[in-house]
Amino acid sequence: MRSEGALLLEQAWLVAAREYRERVRSRAFVLVTILTPLFLGALLGGSVLLALHSSASQRVAIVAENRVEASAVAAELRAEEHAPKSIEVVSPATPAALATLNHRVEAKDLNGYLLLRPQPGTAIARATYISGSSTDIGSGALLEAALGRASTRAAMLERGIPEAEAGRLLRKVPVATEQLRNGAAVASDSQRSFLGAYALVMLLYVVVTVYGMNVARSVVQEKTSRIYEVLLATARADSLMLGKLLGVGAAGLTQIAIWFVLLGAVAGTSLASRYGFTGLGSLGIRPEQVVFFLLYFVLGFLFYSGVSAGMGALMGAEQELQQFSFILVAPLLISILMMSYVLANPGGTTAVVMSLIPPFTPIIMYLRICAQQPPAWQLALSVVLLVAAITLVIWLAARIYRVGILMYGKRPTLPEAFRWLRAS
Amino acid sequence: MPATVELDRISKHYGSKVAVEALSLRIASGTMFGLLGPNGAGKTSSLRMMTGITLPDSGTVSLFGRPFARTSLRHVGYLPEERGLYRKMVVRDQLIFLGRMHGLSRADAGTRALRWATRLQIADSLDKKTDELSKGMQQKIQFIATLLHEPELIIMDEPFSGLDPVNAILLEDTLLQLKREGRSILFSTHRMDQVEKLCDAIALIDRGRVVLGGTMRELKSRYPRERVLLAVDGQTPRLDGCFGVVESRQFAGHTELRLAPGADPQRLLHSLVEGGASITHWEVREPSLEEIFIRTVGGEADA
Repeated sequence: MRSEGALLLEQAWLVAAREYRERVRSRAFVLVTILTPLFLGALLGGSVLLALHSSASQRVAIVAENRVEASAVAAELRAEEHAPKSIEVVSPATPAALATLNHRVEAKDLNGYLLLRPQPGTAIARATYISGSSTDIGSGALLEAALGRASTRAAMLERGIPEAEAGRLLRKVPVATEQLRNGAAVASDSQRSFLGAYALVMLLYVVVTVYGMNVARSVVQEKTSRIYEVLLATARADSLMLGKLLGVGAAGLTQIAIWFVLLGAVAGTSLASRYGFTGLGSLGIRPEQVVFFLLYFVLGFLFYSGVSAGMGALMGAEQELQQFSFILVAPLLISILMMSYVLANPGGTTAVVMSLIPPFTPIIMYLRICAQQPPAWQLALSVVLLVAAITLVIWLAARIYRVGILMYGKRPTLPEAFRWLRAS
Repeated sequence: MPATVELDRISKHYGSKVAVEALSLRIASGTMFGLLGPNGAGKTSSLRMMTGITLPDSGTVSLFGRPFARTSLRHVGYLPEERGLYRKMVVRDQLIFLGRMHGLSRADAGTRALRWATRLQIADSLDKKTDELSKGMQQKIQFIATLLHEPELIIMDEPFSGLDPVNAILLEDTLLQLKREGRSILFSTHRMDQVEKLCDAIALIDRGRVVLGGTMRELKSRYPRERVLLAVDGQTPRLDGCFGVVESRQFAGHTELRLAPGADPQRLLHSLVEGGASITHWEVREPSLEEIFIRTVGGEADA
């Protein structure tokens, strides 16, 4: 005769296998697996293209009383990396010329124009950029840089510095970004590493939320279909819950694995390499990032699905569950909102403290890892705390589960729920 | 006879509500046992404690002569009152899953599922989802799920409620067959006629306690055979007051007589025959379970 422990694990395993098969075979799983990368790809690709082409497709004009002054600014602007597509020079700035320009901006023939007017008492012109939309921010920094260089160049020439010399003095100095990782400086592409972190964090958020809620929903469904009465006559509530968490979690991992494999396959194509995409590395995703991603996915999933299972056992109907789903999503949502802050200050007190609080750990600590390798002791501590929290949550959930899944009808009040905890 | 189930003063409270109070009963192996009682009497709570779904606050449960252990549950088949199946799951997979949860191998579970489904004439439903089946078919599937692992003890909570007459007879036959094979069967019901027809022993519980229990023979012998059904051709003679008849009720086709304790029905029959009555039906009846209950519970309630 088998021991009770072996029985518990064997039954948990059977439940896990059933849950896994049910999910992986469902139409929703197939659809989400295919549509999510398409959607995320379109979103990322779209925003990259938009960023690349926003200034390149712009048409602007430089307007000044003095044609030489206007041409000088235009020349500097053309030299910029993300220069507007067309730069016109309009001079002199007569009221009629300005009226025509205003008309063209309104007709969207022109994105905007830079008006340079002499300022009495100073050599520096008063510059105003008039544009059709208030969100035309792309041009602001470009114009300022061009204007600054043009007036510096004019001042240099005025002071008798030869033109070639002035050009050398004004040349752009590129700044390379490097990151300290385990004491060694490593070249990094700040924009790309942000992109990679962004993609993986969103994935973490979506998968943990979707599968966490999935656990709660299936607990409620099984409760309403009364299948638990049949199962509980042979298995313990703990093994049923353990099996459910493992099965649903494995389905989530399968989905992520499929996505990584797809990404790898896409990276191998010639189309992808033409755009400089040759794998996770070109998205700024390091191999250890993937390892930590999987680690924090598994831990995050266990934490949130434990909470979710307990919640499901307390609820009487799916509609009630929806009202309470914010409890589950809130910490994850807060983590997501803090994303850019944490990426900018990965070693700051706020980021460090939050990354050690279990509900926030999966996303915040993962973001810190993406930005800058945190000290090993912090990583270890976060995992220890998270595992302790998971143990607590699952223990509590199992007790609620034991009583809750046999309670039908009315949702218990908070004091009743506490009594269940004591009674079970 | 060894006991398959033995409950020794088990109690269960839910908050301040008492579900079961010091309840003891014993189910002999190889018998069919009926658990009777009004709604809320504690029937389901008692059954749940036998199947390990809940644990008693006090008292002990023994299964198969040993103190309760979860490993024993592999030899128990339980049909809950609220039937439950995975709605979106294919019936065959579902039966295999439930069979394996009770320790069967995949192959065994598959073979047995097919054998039972054939026996209950629903073999062609095996590859459909539960959702696609009629209620009657779902009930059959649920019976199969309960019986698949060939349990030695079968526990059914209100198995006849909601069954159509055809399925009810099918279930009766199946249970009788299982009993002949030596299994012990326990079911709860509030239908006396079924218990009277099927059960070897019963317990009537009310407000969490056993008010009446024992084998059917014991119970009935406790109450005298004092009821006579009589039908005669022509006019029924007036019998009130003679031969110990204390009450007579004239029905459409027969007369029902109640005799005083100790009165001999044979003497009554003799005198009727001698009086020239043409008797078409004569039956000395045992008290029905229902009458026993009404007396017991009624008596308790008055006390």
